[in-house]
Amino acid sequence: MQMRGTGRLLEWRARRFSDPVERLQFLKSKLSGGAAPGFLANRPLKHVRMSFIALGLALATTTLLQPFAKRALGLAPPEIRSVARTAAPRMVANTSQQPATAPPVWLVETKQHFDLYSNGLRVENEFLTSNVPRKYLAFSSERPDSAAGEWRTNPAGIVFHTTESHMAPFEEDQNQSLKRDGEGLLQYVSRRKSYHFVIDRFGRVFRVVAESDSANHAGNSVWADQHFVYLNLNESFFGVAFEARSRQDADGEPVNAAQVHAARILTEMLRARYGIASSNCVAHAQVSVNPANRRAGYHTDWAANLPFTALGLTDNYSHPLPSVTLFGFEPDAGLADAGGAPLAAGIQASEDKIRDDAAAHGLPAERYRAALQKRYKDSIQALRAPFRRTIK
Amino acid sequence: MSNLSQSSSAVGLDVGTSRIVAAYRQDKDIQCETQLNAFVNIPFSKLTQSVLKKERIPHLIADSEITVYGDECERFANLFHKETRRPMLRGVLNPDEAGGLALVRHIVQLLTGEEKGHGRKLCFSVPAAPLGADEEVKSHESALSAMLNELGYESRNISEGLAVVYGEMENSNYTGIGISCGGGLCNVCLAYLSVPVFSFSIPKGGDYIDDNVARLRGEPATRIRTIKEESFHFNGHFANKIHQALCTYYDDMIQALVASLKDSFASVQNMPKLNRPIPLVLAGGSVLAPGFRDRFEKVLRESELPVAISEVRLGSSPMHSTARGALVAALSEM
Repeated sequence: MQMRGTGRLLEWRARRFSDPVERLQFLKSKLSGGAAPGFLANRPLKHVRMSFIALGLALATTTLLQPFAKRALGLAPPEIRSVARTAAPRMVANTSQQPATAPPVWLVETKQHFDLYSNGLRVENEFLTSNVPRKYLAFSSERPDSAAGEWRTNPAGIVFHTTESHMAPFEEDQNQSLKRDGEGLLQYVSRRKSYHFVIDRFGRVFRVVAESDSANHAGNSVWADQHFVYLNLNESFFGVAFEARSRQDADGEPVNAAQVHAARILTEMLRARYGIASSNCVAHAQVSVNPANRRAGYHTDWAANLPFTALGLTDNYSHPLPSVTLFGFEPDAGLADAGGAPLAAGIQASEDKIRDDAAAHGLPAERYRAALQKRYKDSIQALRAPFRRTIK
Repeated sequence: MSNLSQSSSAVGLDVGTSRIVAAYRQDKDIQCETQLNAFVNIPFSKLTQSVLKKERIPHLIADSEITVYGDECERFANLFHKETRRPMLRGVLNPDEAGGLALVRHIVQLLTGEEKGHGRKLCFSVPAAPLGADEEVKSHESALSAMLNELGYESRNISEGLAVVYGEMENSNYTGIGISCGGGLCNVCLAYLSVPVFSFSIPKGGDYIDDNVARLRGEPATRIRTIKEESFHFNGHFANKIHQALCTYYDDMIQALVASLKDSFASVQNMPKLNRPIPLVLAGGSVLAPGFRDRFEKVLRESELPVAISEVRLGSSPMHSTARGALVAALSEM
């Protein structure tokens, strides 16, 4: 059964369904060539092979009828349809599309300087500041070229960062330095409204920017789930920073056990309260892009070693990068250098997908990538348009 | 007794030789209910009947006998010094028990807590056919299907090994090898992206181990099962000869399973190209013996299968894996 390319693409798309039933439905529907899903238990393999062929033919046929393919054949300009948001964005209620898979966590008490949650999480509010209330435009993942967007106010995910700040040795006789460094860092990030949360080296969790607001943590960035494509994640994702440096000398771990524990219960709280899917909890390196040189991986914090499993999350380093597959960014060489084998697998999967998609559209990979990059430009313009109107 | 179907639009049913497990979805969680797939006949008396009624113990009365079925039958078997009987044998309806299907029906009703299915989707597990026993499995399938449809369910079947894949391998996109070691059979399925590549069963399971050890040591099979479940473990040290014999027959089952797996890989046509190692999940009551997983993995690694195995693990809840998978299959049809 020769279905590596299709299989990989299917696998990637299937992983975006966190619900096991939805995932199985998706796979069954794809493998039965779009027919009504049936029980496959006794299905002979040759039928399955035919389904893959049928799926490929259907894709190819559908593709040939698209303006995209027409353009490739010289019948239309060589660009894919932009995400021109002409339709009025639809405001949706502050509810999540994703099920909360984390156990329930609730606020137990609020004191002047801290909040206590039922899972033992204590969040310090000493450095809390406010910013612009969260509101962002999310584009349809199923129809990336659709004109419809949704205004949302619910946080969609978490981006994990490292502060890359000065690190005193984590030793008993360094207490003063450790405290001083931590406090200086918190004052700095609070002034700049850099993250929603910072986890210091003693495993204390500080709320820096209110959860209802955006924070300046992700800049130019891209992520996507099965429902939406998110651009510039300051508004749509929480920023959680470890007081740490991603790259450690010798065999040092980037973060200590206290920080990992704190991050785990913080993540648990955020996922439970906002219904955030595990697949939307990502490393900064996975989402960061540089539009100037069209490279993915401008920032490389947590390009490797983010302890996904210890945080109660699915390790998604090997997922293809949406910035590459949806918007044609090229993975930066620095990203591959900074990342470990899991991220390398994700980069490879992204490149494979670009190649497969280009082939499915009957375009050379570079031309297809250029068309995706145009889509990014158009999307960014659409994203900025409402703000321009507001300013006027 | 549960009221599971009141809160669930679909039911997953693992119809095993020794247990029947029903799975249903409650909010986002999957809940499972289990009953022994067994019964015992005790002499009829008005006093016994009234005690059973008062204690709400599931029973039937016919021909001057009381049939106690489900979990409670073991207690009554001990009280009346009788052996429990099984409506099923080696994965299919027991041809020597004429009322077997009716008892399975009562146990299903006991698990679902309702007389009728009201058109709910229900997916039930069936064994993969052992070599030369296709007809037996087909007739088992159709008998169960007719019974469940008559109860008002919209029923479908799923092979037991595939159900393990659906119940346990969401993270690998339903790619991997699911093995269910039950009372009557061991069922195996290799699936790729939810599609079964091959399925088979071997007629060796918990009963095979119990019966052979019982015969060898001259003990009742029920006692051997109790010893097996309460004190046996694979650690290379045997407290007594029964443990030693149990180890021998467990090993025999594992060797047969791995050899059949290897044969299946050798004979399958159109094997998918797997671009990464695949997981193998062990489920069913017979994998619960401490050390079983390690033993199985050792034999498996020695056998050099033609595919790379990323991990050998026990199901998250081995007794419920098949029912969970059947439920996922049923829900995916909605």
